[in-house]
Amino acid sequence: MNIDFQAFRRIPLAKRAIARAFNGSILPAAAQLLPLVLLAIAFALTGCDEAHPRSTMVPVADSGSISQWFYNLLFWLDAIILVIVVSVWALALVKFRAKAGDTTEPPQSFGDMRLEVAWTVLPTLIVLGVTVPTLGGVFELARKPDINQNIIEIDVTGKQWWWEFDYIKAGLTGDNGAVINTANEVHVEVGTQVVMHMTSSDVIHSWWIPRVGGKRDATPGRTQPFYFKPNQVGVFEGQCAELCGSSHALMGTRLFVHPKDKAVQINEGGKPITLEPYKDWVSHVRTAAAKPQASVEAGAKVFEKKCTACHVIQFADPELKGFAMAQRSPSSGPNLTHVGSRTHIAARTLENTPENIVKWVKDPQSVKPGAKMIVPGGITDEEAKAVAAFLTSLK
Amino acid sequence: MASIADFAGVPKPVYHQDRPSLYGVKDWLTTVDHKKIGILYGAAGLFYMLVGGLEALLMRLQLAKPDQHLFVGDTFNGLVTMHATTMVFLAVMPMIAGFSNYFVPLMIGARDVAFPRLNAFSWWTFFFGSLVLNSSLLFVQEFPSAGWFAYAPLTTKDFHPDMAMDFWWAGLTMLAISSMVAGVNFVVTILNMRAPGMTLMRVPVLTWMMLVIQVLLAFSFPPITVGIIFLALDRTFGTVFYKTAMGGDPQLWQHLFWLFGHPEVYVLILPSMGMVSEILPVFARRPLFGQHAVIFSGVFIGFVGFGVWGHHMFTTGMGPIADAAFASTTALIAIPTGVKIFNWLGTLWNAKLTFPTAMLFAVSFIPMFTIGGLSGLMHASPPLDLQQHNSYFVVAHFHYVLVGGALQGLFAGFYFYLPKITGRMLDETLGKIHFWLFLIGFNLTFFPMHMLGNNGMPRRIYTYPADAGWNTENLIATIGVFFMTAGTLVFAYNVIVNWRKGKLAGNDPWDANTLEWLTTSPPPLHNFDFTPTTLSERPLWDHKYTPGLEIPVPTTAEEIHMPSPSWKPMWVSSFILLIIIGLLLYNLVPFAWTLSVVGALGIIGSVYAWVTEPV
Repeated sequence: MNIDFQAFRRIPLAKRAIARAFNGSILPAAAQLLPLVLLAIAFALTGCDEAHPRSTMVPVADSGSISQWFYNLLFWLDAIILVIVVSVWALALVKFRAKAGDTTEPPQSFGDMRLEVAWTVLPTLIVLGVTVPTLGGVFELARKPDINQNIIEIDVTGKQWWWEFDYIKAGLTGDNGAVINTANEVHVEVGTQVVMHMTSSDVIHSWWIPRVGGKRDATPGRTQPFYFKPNQVGVFEGQCAELCGSSHALMGTRLFVHPKDKAVQINEGGKPITLEPYKDWVSHVRTAAAKPQASVEAGAKVFEKKCTACHVIQFADPELKGFAMAQRSPSSGPNLTHVGSRTHIAARTLENTPENIVKWVKDPQSVKPGAKMIVPGGITDEEAKAVAAFLTSLK
Repeated sequence: MASIADFAGVPKPVYHQDRPSLYGVKDWLTTVDHKKIGILYGAAGLFYMLVGGLEALLMRLQLAKPDQHLFVGDTFNGLVTMHATTMVFLAVMPMIAGFSNYFVPLMIGARDVAFPRLNAFSWWTFFFGSLVLNSSLLFVQEFPSAGWFAYAPLTTKDFHPDMAMDFWWAGLTMLAISSMVAGVNFVVTILNMRAPGMTLMRVPVLTWMMLVIQVLLAFSFPPITVGIIFLALDRTFGTVFYKTAMGGDPQLWQHLFWLFGHPEVYVLILPSMGMVSEILPVFARRPLFGQHAVIFSGVFIGFVGFGVWGHHMFTTGMGPIADAAFASTTALIAIPTGVKIFNWLGTLWNAKLTFPTAMLFAVSFIPMFTIGGLSGLMHASPPLDLQQHNSYFVVAHFHYVLVGGALQGLFAGFYFYLPKITGRMLDETLGKIHFWLFLIGFNLTFFPMHMLGNNGMPRRIYTYPADAGWNTENLIATIGVFFMTAGTLVFAYNVIVNWRKGKLAGNDPWDANTLEWLTTSPPPLHNFDFTPTTLSERPLWDHKYTPGLEIPVPTTAEEIHMPSPSWKPMWVSSFILLIIIGLLLYNLVPFAWTLSVVGALGIIGSVYAWVTEPV
């Protein structure tokens, strides 16, 4: 055996080695330890605080916690392996440097069978140790939730470049029998099992709220489930994680986890917002829109003329049913019945203010490259402002 | 003691060619010499590495700060697509092909590859394919923008009606043909043309790794070629392989693509593992520790590499059974990878190390690749991969493998082997500047991406909001790119200046182990004045230092027949290009299909001329 294990026992050697490395050496010791330094930085910089609102490290749902459990397992395992490999490597580079004037050859060893067996068996054991719990985790994540409990079931459809959330399977229909669906902002209840059915109406998208857990692809022609149970009230950010065309970067989504029975104030990006109980949100979205007030009637007229080919607004008033023309055709845009109560428009690209709505309807493509929205015949400033006022009134 | 000077007195061989080699440009167009073809591949690879690097630099400029508008939407997506496509197919693969061409015959003591004209055909098909791939910028003023993985149905006419995507499948088809043909050629070469005495276990590790990747190329390119043909049919003739509404399935593309795509990853990394396995022993002045284990682990990686593709698809909903199977096979890859790393450490231990630039790159390969390998182990766990998939964590992971691993290995190879190719040494001071700039820049760029991924940043987004918490790491990453760019430019300068003006290298500048250092630098057309008989794993070292294992030096001149230059390989490639052009124009110009017919007839004609031509 040619490996000199004695070297490990001689601690002062490491000190001398580091000193030597600094003295006119090719590889300064600091650089040799680069990976370790990086590892320490990584650990320090990754985590949840105000600065990292989308950290996967602090999950708020059971599915994210399972992922996080495996992250911790593998991070520390990897860290130990890396420290060992890099230490041996750095020690070898320092200790076994050719000395000036030494012309003898090092021992010509072709290997050692015992060592080969050892360092084949060792990784095999590590791999087994990781794979066995991994397989458990795979089946855990795929396990269908108990259907006897209260479940919020949502159909999720990815579209270029926004998300449609349909609550019909959750048993939610509007007062007038209309489908309850929302765009980009999805609402669930804390502590209640959520079942999402992912699909797409065009290309492949992938729904990802990092703090909730792993992403799931929304593939056209297929539906796959995603189960999670949120355990913290709040608003959690996410976005599409599969390249889906020109505005892939602007396909955001927000998850609102509502409290069960008492409204909760949360601090959201420095702004306090109130999250009402889930049942209040439900009764809110079940209520169809009221007849437009006189102050926004001009905007409603413009909307009826230019927007109803693609957008639906569900009115309680049967006379206004004409607004609901574009019921769920593939080309339809977001349902705007409660658009005024959303925090953002254009899939989290712009905050929901009248000014931003004007900006959006006047030239959607300048906000989102390739956006599919067209306003037939264009729209004047005045009309845009009127529409913005009308849409903002639809709380 | 024997020395390589013993070979100087060997009588020059008598060699004949049916037609003499041409001169100047004509020589490069008609050459069938594996060394010239290797140089062509290498030069193309280096050129495209600069192109791909520029694309990366532009992307990092856009991402340096939140909400920037330098390259938005499909312009940015085009850079993403072409950076990856260029780096994989046009930079790293041709550099590997270059080394494979130049050194495999030299390392096994052969005079050329098994099929020299087929080799030239591979090169020309690759070269025309690379032009087609990039020419979308010239003809339609945009790059294909559906990602190098080109997931259907985004690539179909419904979502990419523009022609850029057509240039992508057209270019890739040619590159696939080139790689499959080269794969077969090199497998035959390595198995059949080894010098007397060179048993398979005496074949140098680099050549072994080349053998493994050529098998991978020959078997992994067919699936993607099928996938690309489906795509071409969908786009050109309106078939519905990927059209969901008509019964097609986009998942089909993903399986075909990754059945190629994962072996492809090993195609990119195994040669660099081979480089490191050749370079460490030379500068450690002892044999590779556990050479057989290193070879078998490379073979094992190549073999299992065909059974892991599903780990790219954990988020698609294949179901827990498939996920579990792919998770297990993926984790298996960690075992041979670990064996390799431990054996490299075993080589360094008890050695007498010297650190020219080649060695610096080779030793820094070990920890950088280890980081990439360890984060890869994380992705073998589907519950965790669901979070990391398509996030910047994955970007960090595979850049540690492909830049810290594959590219550093290739840089080590350039510093080590270029003196054999040019006969001149590269400048060591410039080399060390290159090394440090690159190593620092590389870590600055890619290490923060682990944090970006953990903090929820998806890949391939052209912009991000300022409040997402990704600003610092993105800025650091962009700064790092400038270091890498500076390092690469120093390298380019070093190569260009020292190609003709560097210090003379002599036959064996590193006091190396293997047969390629026995001949002159650069080697003559016929490589070796005599066919060297191989008596051990380190024929040249043992010739110099182990009494009793000297390479027998013949006293009589050998008679050699060398292949003649030929225009036919380029003709056949040109006619393939013509078929492709006909298909590209099919929907634009009436009767453009006649070009394809002419191309097909041309191939038949020129192949006939090829097989009847005396060599």
